[in-house]
Amino acid sequence: MKGDAHLYDGRSAARHAVHVELSRDLQALVITGEALPEPLVWPLPDLRALGDHADDSQIVLARHRETEDESLRDPARLVVEDPEMVAWLRRTRPRLNRKDLRTGTGRRIALRLGGALAAVALMLFVILPALANTLAGLLPLEKEIAFGRSVKAQMERFLGATEVGALDCDEPDGQAALDRMVARLTEGQDLDYPLEVSVIDHKMMNAFAAPGGQIVVVRGLLDKADGPDMVAAVLAHEIGHVVHRDPTRHALRSAGSVGLLGLVFGDFTGGAAMVFLAERLINASYSQSAEAEADAYAHEALLAAGLPPSALGDMFETFRAEFGDREGPMAHFASHPQLSARIAAARAATPEGLPDRPVLDAAEWQALKTICDGRG
Amino acid sequence: MSDGNYAHGDYTGDGKALFWLALRTGLLTLFTLGIYRFWAKTRVRRYIWTSSRLDGSRFEYTGTGLEKFLGFLMAVVFLAVYLGLIQIVLFYFGLTIFAAPQTPEQALAQTAGVSVSALALMPFIFFAIYRARRYKLARTRWRGIRFGMDKDAWGYAFRAIGYWLLTLVSLGLLTPLMTFRLEKYMTDRTWFGDARFDQQGRWTALYGKMKHIFVGLALIALGVLAAALAAQSGPLLGVLSALAIPVGVVWFVIGVISYRVQSFAYLAQNKMLSGKVAFHAHPSTKTVILTYILGSIVLGICLSVATGIFGGIVAMTLSGIDFETMNGQFQPGMILPAIITVAGYLLTLTAAQAGALAAITQPILKHYVQTITVINLPALAEIQQRDADQGADAEGFADALDIGGAI
Repeated sequence: MKGDAHLYDGRSAARHAVHVELSRDLQALVITGEALPEPLVWPLPDLRALGDHADDSQIVLARHRETEDESLRDPARLVVEDPEMVAWLRRTRPRLNRKDLRTGTGRRIALRLGGALAAVALMLFVILPALANTLAGLLPLEKEIAFGRSVKAQMERFLGATEVGALDCDEPDGQAALDRMVARLTEGQDLDYPLEVSVIDHKMMNAFAAPGGQIVVVRGLLDKADGPDMVAAVLAHEIGHVVHRDPTRHALRSAGSVGLLGLVFGDFTGGAAMVFLAERLINASYSQSAEAEADAYAHEALLAAGLPPSALGDMFETFRAEFGDREGPMAHFASHPQLSARIAAARAATPEGLPDRPVLDAAEWQALKTICDGRG
Repeated sequence: MSDGNYAHGDYTGDGKALFWLALRTGLLTLFTLGIYRFWAKTRVRRYIWTSSRLDGSRFEYTGTGLEKFLGFLMAVVFLAVYLGLIQIVLFYFGLTIFAAPQTPEQALAQTAGVSVSALALMPFIFFAIYRARRYKLARTRWRGIRFGMDKDAWGYAFRAIGYWLLTLVSLGLLTPLMTFRLEKYMTDRTWFGDARFDQQGRWTALYGKMKHIFVGLALIALGVLAAALAAQSGPLLGVLSALAIPVGVVWFVIGVISYRVQSFAYLAQNKMLSGKVAFHAHPSTKTVILTYILGSIVLGICLSVATGIFGGIVAMTLSGIDFETMNGQFQPGMILPAIITVAGYLLTLTAAQAGALAAITQPILKHYVQTITVINLPALAEIQQRDADQGADAEGFADALDIGGAI
């Protein structure tokens, strides 16, 4: 095995024509040339080819050596273009494409990875939530209310409204019943915001609180509720969110963490999906405790209004019959705690022998249930 | 190609080979949740670098994916802490000074306070641009000799901010000053082995390269003027304005591209290596624009075919489901179409990125490389090796801040 090649000696940019052949003991390549004062001997086990080379007809060889370089390679290069020699190298030298790592590489990776994870975790779980809490407390009221209106408008568009307010239900009798319900729940309480409770016409069974005291009940919830107490219980829960300023804190915190997660996952295809999933997971851990606190608030408020907290449990019972409960690993991704636990908590908070004083009488309840009937 | 004294650049990269390499590494990136992207970029660079040839010798890229990954982790620590602290400080001051804006001026000041946090990243962006160029040069070799760049990233960041402000204040009129001085700052710190590059020429010479931008602006101004006068003096001027504005906008866009191509050419022609080796560059703006348009059309056709195929499969799997009766509920029959949709979307996006690299980026790069000439080759043989550069963050800041483009 012998042939001609070109050598770059790694010291000057000159190109040397050289002759290459196998040493007598078959253990090394011997490189001779006019410019070389004495032959170079490259042991076969040290030979490495440069990867992802654009030209298949040539191999660029380097020697494996402990250097300070980015990769463990001697700077000299031997460019082999002789077809027979290229074929011989590919056939007989399996180590040609070996990756050589410096000793201690694993430790370096672990150290850097640990440091980066610690910094990101500190930001996501300590600094950003603290910041969000401070900010939610400092945000001017009128800005928060304006922000809440835009969140509500977004939700309406999501449910199919073509313009703001297109889905609003406003039968006067129903609205009066709703106002009575809210008045009874908030009687004697000093809320930071004016509450704005509205019903929108969609079959979804849900209710939500937006920043700035906006509470939206979706018509599907009224359809599925067995009585006014159950609706009142859901309202009390949402008022709990409003009192704790959960929607505002949530919006502020996720604005920060999405930016930070974007930094980590970068700009690769599917990166946005990763950011979404990670944000969902982080959010779930906060939101589950916020839900539990809103439940606790609802229990107190219902008792204060002379209503049974177990009505909240009855409502969750309906949810569970409709959608099932989340079990196993998926429960970590859910924004709400497991329903069975919440039902048990609601039952436990209900004292024996509470007088039965429904929040609305039969006529008012009928008016509330038909609050959307006036719409087109 | 060379006659012993000068040589033209040569690019041998193949579209198909690069597409498959980019697609394979792109899919690996997808499956590793993004971690492989550092290795993917490194492998694509190795291919592109070794496709470039000068005087019979191919360039070499010696960077590794691992060092890029480690550099990125380091940058994340810095940026996460920096961003966190800067935001706390800005929020604190922003909110204590303007707790509740009473007047429009105060509201404006509050908005300005929020945008300061975006501005706070600017020094890091310029820092990252310099660091990324230094890293790429430090990992580039030709005939076994390293390129390199001095460690002056902060000097660059401060100058870049200064020139940007000047350009903004002058409404863009001082753009050539910024282009020239920033390129000179980098070139004068660039080395090939023990030989230093030197940027010569004058910044005012770049005004000539802006002429199509000025023509476009003049046409737009003419159109606006005609539209203003059309109300009084008749429909002829209205037609003129309807014509002049769109033509002016297209002309302006072409002018911007032309400025980028031709200012690169001027700056390359006026570079010297250790006072002995000179360069010539004559890229054609027309070729760059046509290559871009042609590549986009090819890519667009391939993408619509791929989308059509995936859409058809999804429609077929969905055909058994009755949407009227399902009442917003989940049905097991929807799992398969949903998986195909998501997989198809991600695959198409990965393929589109690989396609853009092979059909647009590479041909344009090829044109740039092939229109460069190096004069006085014998002087190159005397250049000696330089020491290895550790590379600090291995452009981790550029990766964290998502700057640096396709390659």
